[in-house]
Amino acid sequence: MSIGPDIHPKRARAAPFVIIWAILLVLASFKVLTAFLGMGVWAPIAQFGIVAIQASIVFTFFMRLKGSPSLKWVFAVSGFFWLSFLYGLSMTDYADRQGWPPIYTSDGPSFQAHQNQP
Amino acid sequence: MTNSSSVAPEIQFANLEQQGDTAQLGIWVFLVNETIFFGALIFTYFVYRISYPQEFAAAAKDAVLWCGSVNLAILLTSSLTMVLAINAGAQGRRQEMVTLLIVTAALGCAFLLIKGYEYYLDFQDHVVPVVDFATKPGEGSAGELFWIFYWVATGLHAIHLMIGIALVLYMLLWRIRRGEIGSAYYAPLEVVGIYWSFVDVVWLFLYPCIYLVGRS
Repeated sequence: MSIGPDIHPKRARAAPFVIIWAILLVLASFKVLTAFLGMGVWAPIAQFGIVAIQASIVFTFFMRLKGSPSLKWVFAVSGFFWLSFLYGLSMTDYADRQGWPPIYTSDGPSFQAHQNQP
Repeated sequence: MTNSSSVAPEIQFANLEQQGDTAQLGIWVFLVNETIFFGALIFTYFVYRISYPQEFAAAAKDAVLWCGSVNLAILLTSSLTMVLAINAGAQGRRQEMVTLLIVTAALGCAFLLIKGYEYYLDFQDHVVPVVDFATKPGEGSAGELFWIFYWVATGLHAIHLMIGIALVLYMLLWRIRRGEIGSAYYAPLEVVGIYWSFVDVVWLFLYPCIYLVGRS
């Protein structure tokens, strides 16, 4: 059983794709809005959450992963799988560093200030 | 002029459908590489943004928000026209396919024109590291890191988009004109469409990195 519109090129109609395009534009508007709402540290989290949703929609419908064989899904996801290794292993370095992220002092960011904390 | 229904599969494939599926897996393998390529660049961005949040927020204020936003809308629209072109080709509507591909290429060129104008504004604002960079109040020396990321990331994205436009024009002026793309065989167009949509996804990720920092 397939959920949603049939997007096979031989059978797909234009309307579902136009609706998806409109949804992407609305999400983009929300993304811009989050930057001006004073959300502080939550702003980039919200923005990249919206980006993840947009990317998933583009992958699923515009790049036609929906209805595709499982092998194509494996190939598509594998990039992010390997990227998770890059991010995770690289972050083990930064997570183990003393003084990162820096503490802002009167002289600007200080990577040493942590060591002076009680 | 050949007809897509008379196109024969390459010798190693049993039929055109298998050839098309293999081609799509091939482009996805390439996109895995592109994911890691741009993903590593964005990782570097986040390391420096977490290290210097105030300097990045100050530096990003000079990013031209309207240029990035209009370009985002242009690229999303071009992805729509590309996917509609593939549908038209698969369903045998040749003229509609050609028209939509021309619109897709035109939207890509519009993106590059706006990007070029934005680069001109950036030179006016003296935010070109090494060449012409003026440190603004609050940026410190780390603000230049933001602009280094900006020029590298948007430059690489623009090069990818130019390649996409070239591929669309190749489809139009060579493959479609010779009748090799039609309802019987449209896999090359699907491959170009997948690449085009991925370039769009890259801009989706770059947009908040560059244009939505420190706006409130």
